[in-house]
Amino acid sequence: MIDLLVLGAGLSGLVAALRAAEEGRRVKVIAKGMGAHHWNAGTIDVLGYLAGDEQPVEAPWTAMARLEDDHPYQLIERDAARAALTWFQTLTARCGLGYAGADGERNMLLPSPAGAWRPVFLAPAAQAGGEADAGRPMLIVGLEGMRDFYPHFIVRNLTAAGQPARAATLPWSVVSAARDRNSVQLAALLDEPAAQQRLVSALKLVAQPGERIGLPAILGLHRHTEVMAALQRELKCPVFEIPTLPPSVPGIRLTTALRHELERRGVRVEVGMEVIGFHAEGDAIQWVETATSARPLRHRAAAYLLATGGVLGGGFSSDPGGRFWETIFDLPLTVPQDRTQWFRPLFLDPQGQPAFRGGVSVDSSFQPVDADGRPVYANLWAAGGALAHADPILERSLEGIAIVTGVAAADAIVRERDFEGVRG
Amino acid sequence: MAPISWHSVDLSLDECIKCNICTSYCPVSAVTDLFPGPKYVGPQAQRFRDPDQATSPDHSVDYCSGCRVCNEVCPTGVKIAELNARARAEIVADKGLPLRNRLLGRNELLGKLGSFAPPLANFGLHNPLSRFLAEKVMRIAREAPLPTWSTTGTFRDWLKRTAKERRKSDKKVVYYHGCATMYYEPFIGKAAVAVMEHNGFEVIVPEQNCCGLPLLSNGEFGAARNYHRGNVGKLAGFARAGLPIVGTSTSCTLTLKEEAPELLDMDDESSVQLKMATWDIFEWLRELHEAGDLRTDFRTVDLKLPYHAPCQMRAHRIGKPALEIMALIPGLEIAESHARCCGIAGTYGYKVEKYQIAMDVGAELFDFVAAQGDGVTYSACDSETCRWQLEHGTDLPSRHPIEILAAAYGLYDLDRRDLILA
Ligand code: SF4
Ligand code: SF4
Repeated sequence: MIDLLVLGAGLSGLVAALRAAEEGRRVKVIAKGMGAHHWNAGTIDVLGYLAGDEQPVEAPWTAMARLEDDHPYQLIERDAARAALTWFQTLTARCGLGYAGADGERNMLLPSPAGAWRPVFLAPAAQAGGEADAGRPMLIVGLEGMRDFYPHFIVRNLTAAGQPARAATLPWSVVSAARDRNSVQLAALLDEPAAQQRLVSALKLVAQPGERIGLPAILGLHRHTEVMAALQRELKCPVFEIPTLPPSVPGIRLTTALRHELERRGVRVEVGMEVIGFHAEGDAIQWVETATSARPLRHRAAAYLLATGGVLGGGFSSDPGGRFWETIFDLPLTVPQDRTQWFRPLFLDPQGQPAFRGGVSVDSSFQPVDADGRPVYANLWAAGGALAHADPILERSLEGIAIVTGVAAADAIVRERDFEGVRG
Repeated sequence: MAPISWHSVDLSLDECIKCNICTSYCPVSAVTDLFPGPKYVGPQAQRFRDPDQATSPDHSVDYCSGCRVCNEVCPTGVKIAELNARARAEIVADKGLPLRNRLLGRNELLGKLGSFAPPLANFGLHNPLSRFLAEKVMRIAREAPLPTWSTTGTFRDWLKRTAKERRKSDKKVVYYHGCATMYYEPFIGKAAVAVMEHNGFEVIVPEQNCCGLPLLSNGEFGAARNYHRGNVGKLAGFARAGLPIVGTSTSCTLTLKEEAPELLDMDDESSVQLKMATWDIFEWLRELHEAGDLRTDFRTVDLKLPYHAPCQMRAHRIGKPALEIMALIPGLEIAESHARCCGIAGTYGYKVEKYQIAMDVGAELFDFVAAQGDGVTYSACDSETCRWQLEHGTDLPSRHPIEILAAAYGLYDLDRRDLILA
């Protein structure tokens, strides 16, 4: 039997699986789909906004003190949370996907696909090059006809925000002979040296000395680091990436790197597995069942980690009658059970949306608890978007919460669970 | 022909959020402009297909190989590959089927015909002149990796010959061999029988039909229904008696479990009983192992083995059981392929207009095998047509994991592909 079954292959699930595997635990990850990371810009947003504040957060660690007491970040010692992110940085660097931050204290401001500033704590090296700096002008370059990436629109917004920038558009044929290629396919094309050469030649015609060049995040899928190095070497100027709308290449690069690392450690990640049931005896989960082409398949483990994401990740379901529940274990949720209270009238209400804050309540060991604060199951933990009392979209804290709570839950499992005893 | 039913897939259609993720991963649209990708031919075109009018707006759906990569990555669970299979069936209903597809759909018939005189049939099928003619007349690609008929008799011939040596036991299991094992690769069946007997089981091999998958994937639903009815009639009784029905062909077991009942809307009691009793052989062995009942008296197998789980395994949604069981073998160093598809997709890559697409799709896998270095002597894959394609694309012999397992038990010679007699 394995030690830990992780349910969900988003950032929190993969990170927790790696952490437990590093501690020598036998881990398996199962997930319904691989969808979520395509939405991820690849950046690690720790805390970008506080509810009610218009201004972005400058120093996330300090700002955390102003979060409510039951916010997931408040369940963890600040030093432990910082250490989790440092661990993540070391880990991704080892996978050949370097992450950079400002100084370990402050957020960077990086351009969004629309040219608005986004407060980001850690970014892939390629995106960190786009940090706001009025002293270093930008040249934003797109491809003619590329969907959802408009250099002139981006430049208008950047300039309005005080960032000197110019726009240029290259013919589509520079990258692809075929029309209708999306960002992932364009990135795969740019893995090829010939396509990189065409791009370099075209960029040389538009770039001016002293500029840094911002391109959509399609600079290589599997050979991203090499592609970045080749472009900067040939162009003799800094090049950076701006994330695109989904499917997002930097998110895919991150997931791929983490999955490689898991495989290297002997952790299987099984996708296409939808949990349809579970069995508990007393307060211990005995197995979960996933749908197959015939009979349900049972997965047994000593410990289970719920990392299925919240409303956004598909970890919760609702019915037209207004009931709202956690999909796998039917855990109690903190969301108002009356649907009319889910959403405030204004979608972008500065106070956030109650439905997004809803989720699974956990204790300080990240075990889901009932209304009386007692663990629902003795061998169940939860991390990431499923947790209650956070609004990751409004706060821009999605990846930060995923990593910090994923690590904390894995550590709690490793610490509290006497696996040898369970193994018998 | 019965109208093609859409109900189970239509429900999933509304879930499409047009995110385009399926298209980013579709291995076919990545290599050819003839196929615009799953989002366009699946959920998008579906909105214009009228179930009362058997005219599909988009014939490029015929280029979908059915690999199901799209299903797996779709974040909202749209059954894209199934939408495409039904759309293809509508085209067939609409336009009729070329002789070639009729022939490729009839694996069992071909197998039987060739088995009357295998050397002759092999020569007839594999000499350059007939392959040239087959390409011109039938549009079957001249280079495609067609199988060869067994020249040492069919699997059933072997069963008859060795009937006295077969193990008797209270523990019984039913074996579904499928057409490929019957006519082309009887050694797969021998390895499977040897492994199951080694674990204390008596292996029952009842009469059986082709599972009908080649017909389903060529859009011939009517003929497929007859095959499936035949199998239900011959096998459901064993299911009722509580016996597991295990198969070595990933696609056959998938068809018995899900493809046939779902695509053909056969949800009668017997079909369901057969579905629920059918197992991929490694899925079943894994279950034995978890119950502590699998023998692990393995010898060391010093091999570096690139393993590719076939696309149909993805559709089983049982993980990669062969990988888990082979991992128990000492000395065996397995390299897991993450290539999306070998390209062949059943009979897809045999067709002259698709041969090159299939080879381009498979390049990802061939490169992976090549990257494992010179010391590699075999690749492994559970599915027969994928193994043939792998051999074609890599010049390396390919083996079924059951052959590897039989060899690890000391029962089988991987090189000669035959049992080692004690
Ligand atoms: S089944 Fe395979 S070939 Fe067909 S649309 Fe989906 S990914 Fe593409
Ligand atoms: S991945 Fe699924 S939801 Fe996205 S476009 Fe394809 S079918 Fe639609």
